[in-house]
Amino acid sequence: MFRRLQNMKAHLLVSLCCLIGVSAGGTLVHAEDGASSYNYSFWGDTVASPAAYQATDLLSGPDLGIGPLKEPSDIHVTPDHQIYVLDSGNNRIVVLDEELRPVATIASFERDGKADTFLNPQGLFVTEDKQVLVADTGNKRVVHLDRNFKLVKIVEAPESELLKENFVFQPVRVIMDKAQRIYVMATGVFDGFMEFNADGAFTSFIGANRVFIDPVEYFWKRLSTKAQRSQMVMFTPTEFTNLDMDDEGFIYATNGDSFGNNIKKLNAQGNDILRRTGYFNPQGDIRFSIDLGPSRLIDIDVADSEMYSVLDSKRGRIFTYSGDGHFMYVFGGLGNQLGEFKTPAAIERVGDDFLVLDKALGEITVFRTTEYGRTLNEAVRSYYRGEEEKAFQLFNQTINRNANLEFAYAGIGKALLRQGDYAEAMKHFKRSMDQKNYSKAFLLYRKQVLREHFATIMTLIVILAAGALAVRKYRKTMGRKRGVSIE
Amino acid sequence: MFLLNKELVKYPLNLIVHPFNGYWDLKYDRSQKLNLIISFAILFLLALTNILGTQYSGFVVNLFNPDYMNSFMEIVYVVVPVLFWCVANWSLTTLMDGEGKFAEIFTSTCFALIPLVVINFPWIWLSNVISMQESAFYYFSNSLAVAWSIFLLFVGNMTVHQFSPSKTIGTIILTVVAMGFMAFIGLLFFSLVQQIISFVYIIYQELVMRN
Repeated sequence: MFRRLQNMKAHLLVSLCCLIGVSAGGTLVHAEDGASSYNYSFWGDTVASPAAYQATDLLSGPDLGIGPLKEPSDIHVTPDHQIYVLDSGNNRIVVLDEELRPVATIASFERDGKADTFLNPQGLFVTEDKQVLVADTGNKRVVHLDRNFKLVKIVEAPESELLKENFVFQPVRVIMDKAQRIYVMATGVFDGFMEFNADGAFTSFIGANRVFIDPVEYFWKRLSTKAQRSQMVMFTPTEFTNLDMDDEGFIYATNGDSFGNNIKKLNAQGNDILRRTGYFNPQGDIRFSIDLGPSRLIDIDVADSEMYSVLDSKRGRIFTYSGDGHFMYVFGGLGNQLGEFKTPAAIERVGDDFLVLDKALGEITVFRTTEYGRTLNEAVRSYYRGEEEKAFQLFNQTINRNANLEFAYAGIGKALLRQGDYAEAMKHFKRSMDQKNYSKAFLLYRKQVLREHFATIMTLIVILAAGALAVRKYRKTMGRKRGVSIE
Repeated sequence: MFLLNKELVKYPLNLIVHPFNGYWDLKYDRSQKLNLIISFAILFLLALTNILGTQYSGFVVNLFNPDYMNSFMEIVYVVVPVLFWCVANWSLTTLMDGEGKFAEIFTSTCFALIPLVVINFPWIWLSNVISMQESAFYYFSNSLAVAWSIFLLFVGNMTVHQFSPSKTIGTIILTVVAMGFMAFIGLLFFSLVQQIISFVYIIYQELVMRN
């Protein structure tokens, strides 16, 4: 009796220890995650997600040995990880190397033998071979420098019948493609981006946003007289807020629309070809309070494998999407802690790390991947490259860390489908709510099952048919006999 | 007893394929008690079909959020529209010289719902073994069931009230409008009652917290 009691005590102790372990683990995980990282489920609910990125450093001008930054407005990173910061308030460009040591500072350039300077420049772009383009907003021009910061050309206000006579050229963002064409986003231009050829001559507009017409406004406009109408707000397309270019020369752009698509991928004709096959269209937050409204995206950065990140200035969050339009992760926020910003202005990727530029504070926050973020990035990359076996393993690792990541199950399912494990593939497609691929897997599975059990099924059918025939015949003969006997 | 059971199944199935004769029998020949028993059974089976359908239909044709799955509400979605329909139809037809009694309207309406059970119930299980391309059959069958039910409802209403076809269509349209009115008045009533309750409760609170 006593022994049994002792035994029970031991059991109790073990189970208690287990319970404590479980609860301690639970709280630990919770404390680590915080509330800043989340994802959206198929049903549009916000679900918990482990952090993919964590802020590691906060860099200000004096820390970097370049003096305080004054209202920096843009940042750019070259493929060999040199960082160009556009220090707008000080009218200069600061170049840092991979270890964030200052390499060069460009405050002026030589033009016709005289030193020329920038005036409140807003946009900066550095090509792969390190030519520098500056949207010199205050001087109403775009400055093109070569890799040694010698002047190549200056693009001044264009003259064209496409433009109004009182047009003021105020470039704020600029990019250049491999054919040396320059695309300029200018304030007050509603027709899209301004495209300049390699010589700096204006050619056309590209990729205008659609006009959104408020039905109420439209109704009042119909009722009013011409004189009244001239005093009313015009229906104009929204302006773009930022642009970037991927390796293949497609322009990724964000605009300030509250309705419709606020992220676009433009081809050479200016058509939007962004793939939106995720559970929701890429647009920042899909659940938001009415008073603050939807995300206002002000910067976009395209990484390799068609991944892209956008910056929401309203909430200071950085959203990253895969090329298929699946929402991968979010980080950042507004606040005073490390990893939060006051007025985020630009984001840029250095390899897998992120730099976020804060305009008012003149600081750069460095975000580095967590284990989870690294695995997810790699998984999406392998999937993009078609390395299904590797993607399968990596996606499995990600869902071990985050069971809420629904699109990862589709990645696993596709690999399983290729391997021929149709039943498992179906299960995974169901978890990712992917009806199309589920149906594909199911067709193959059904074929396999029917083929496997063909003999059994056919035998069963034949036996049943024969049985039915026999019963019918038996009944007939019985009925006839009875009929005969009655007569 | 066995005979009665066989009759219980055979009679409604016969009605849906021969609606004109079937509804005539329902009104004039059959016992009302049997009709009522069958009607309640049909309502029960329809609710059951809907519940099982949301839970067990194949993934290819059925996306449902388990968080919002509520068996009780599924029953309400069957019973309340039927009751609304019957009350609205009865209220209108008594004014429009219809010959139907309330029980007859109720039974004819319930019998009209049989295709929704007979066609949709097997499809719950069949939908688990179809692919997306074959789902067209599923949707076709569903629409067919609805169309058949509406036709039966029309014939039933016409027979029970001894109306002409055009008058039946008119009453059906008016019935739908009346259902809308009833829903509106019902909501109004509930919100008013809520207001009164909260008003009384606030007075009670004031009195209690006065000192």
